[in-house]
Amino acid sequence: MMKILCAIGTRGGPDLMRRLYEAVGSGHEVRILHVIDSGPRDTLEKYLHEPRLLRHPPPPPPHGPGPFLGASSRAASANAEPLDEAETAAGEAALEEARQEGTRLGLVAQIDIKKGEPEKIIVAEARASSVALIAILASEGSFGRPKIGPESVGHTARFVLDHAPCDVLLVRGRLGETIRGGREL
Amino acid sequence: MLHSLAGILIFILTLTAIMTRPFRMSEALSAAIGAILMLVFRFLSPIEAVRLLLGEWNIFGFFLGLMTIAAIADQAGIFEVLANQTARLAGGSASKLFFGVFMVGTLLTAFLSNDATALILTPAVYAMVTRLRLPVLPFMFVCTFIADTASFLLPVSNPINILILESFGSGLGIFLHYLFLPALFCIILNVGLFWFLFRAELRRGFKLSDLPVVELPSPAYFRFTLVSLGAIAVAFVLASFFRAPLSIVALSGAAILLVGSRRYGRLSWVRLKGEISWSLFLFIGAVFLIIRAVKDLGLTDSFGALLIHLAGSSPLWSTLITAAGSALGANLINNVPMALVMVPTLHGLIAADQARIGLVYAAIMGCDLGPNLTTVGSLATMFWLVILRRKGLEVSSIEYFKLGVLIVPIMLAVGSVLIWLR
Repeated sequence: MMKILCAIGTRGGPDLMRRLYEAVGSGHEVRILHVIDSGPRDTLEKYLHEPRLLRHPPPPPPHGPGPFLGASSRAASANAEPLDEAETAAGEAALEEARQEGTRLGLVAQIDIKKGEPEKIIVAEARASSVALIAILASEGSFGRPKIGPESVGHTARFVLDHAPCDVLLVRGRLGETIRGGREL
Repeated sequence: MLHSLAGILIFILTLTAIMTRPFRMSEALSAAIGAILMLVFRFLSPIEAVRLLLGEWNIFGFFLGLMTIAAIADQAGIFEVLANQTARLAGGSASKLFFGVFMVGTLLTAFLSNDATALILTPAVYAMVTRLRLPVLPFMFVCTFIADTASFLLPVSNPINILILESFGSGLGIFLHYLFLPALFCIILNVGLFWFLFRAELRRGFKLSDLPVVELPSPAYFRFTLVSLGAIAVAFVLASFFRAPLSIVALSGAAILLVGSRRYGRLSWVRLKGEISWSLFLFIGAVFLIIRAVKDLGLTDSFGALLIHLAGSSPLWSTLITAAGSALGANLINNVPMALVMVPTLHGLIAADQARIGLVYAAIMGCDLGPNLTTVGSLATMFWLVILRRKGLEVSSIEYFKLGVLIVPIMLAVGSVLIWLR
């Protein structure tokens, strides 16, 4: 029995579980991890704290309110709650889908949700719980990314490949799907 | 002579401070210091200043009313419900949702101004799209771009429009005559190009069951707010048509909503106060004073002369240059000061030749669309930069980015031609 860390985004969890099962079989202890990427949210909040009606390049990274007349502070708490809820709900839904598929395939699946920079947290978690394998999708298919060829591996997967303390199972696509987009060498 | 130079120096220093925000000083403070210096060096008498500011009551009232209306609509949950309904109507298709958000953004901008869309609809859409597990970037692009692109559909769509129109006293008819087609065309162009850019990411579906049920704090209050907003929208159009001061509509609308909120026990003054940008009033007031001072120094007249010199005798060129110049200026020195610089300049130009009235609308279009051009100013671009940074600058992403910047010049060019054809 192997300890496996399965890192998922908000989509493709079940596909990843099926591929994992194909590769290693059942009976393994799988921890399915979803990391809420804090980057976009931070960006949004920084933007909402800019003065209203005055579109302006954002100041260098804010450390508390400015020394003078600050930007009108649009109450962050008013917006933060629904955004937090949405991100957590999306992550939980994705994890649950993946867990169900994993259990169906006979994997011993646990779920876990974290917040921060996904690539770094995935690597840190793998190291902390000394897993034997990380399973991850090459990308969630953003920016019309090709399935194989240059740029086919997303930034999270790429970082994990570079920094993982163990083997990595890089999953390209769905089961039975023709992998396309590769250029002839 | 030396005295005039000092005035011009104050003007330039103030604009530079607004542009660069030294010591992270807010634009409002820089502008206020500039205005005080203008008063101290007697480029403007205090009495004149007070008279000027009181004369602009319509603008201040409009800003105040509009911000209050948007804040109350936000508190009543209008924007969440709107985003949610759009998703329901899209019936599980990301592409349809994308077009739906474009339409909602257009309507909201048209009647409640660009900032309602940019600042209140955006988080609601972000939350919804995240919940549906769709990529957020295309939708964030839609929200920030449409807020500017749709903001010359009606005079109320952007406070900048009022700022410029105020002193030309033109009604809805002539506004629509010049700007309806350009606005429509720019919106279509915007939708089309974005759909093309993001088509690969939008080729997916979502489950309606992922959509959260919006729990309204009070359905009766929600209905009241919705009906009031509808009435305010109609009143805005009627007021523009009959050339009635829009501030009266905005302030009465805000008053009705405030009374209603109180009756339904939903009024939070503290929260409301936090949602209104008070420094904006200081900023606009100060810029008014500074621009008046430099107008008296003949600076805006020289600017107008330069514009005409650049354009030569061709009306098409002058329309293009006015639009492009306003857009660039709006990026450099913010759109409020740019609009206020354009007002006396345009007055000078039109006094010399009545046929140049179209330039007023070219300037409005330029100041409205301009913020879409800035690569660092908009939320969409900030998102883009975050993602690019993380991805280690992939070639394909940069290609998309370039296309995004291309859209504004195209919109300005096509819009200018349409204005010129009128």
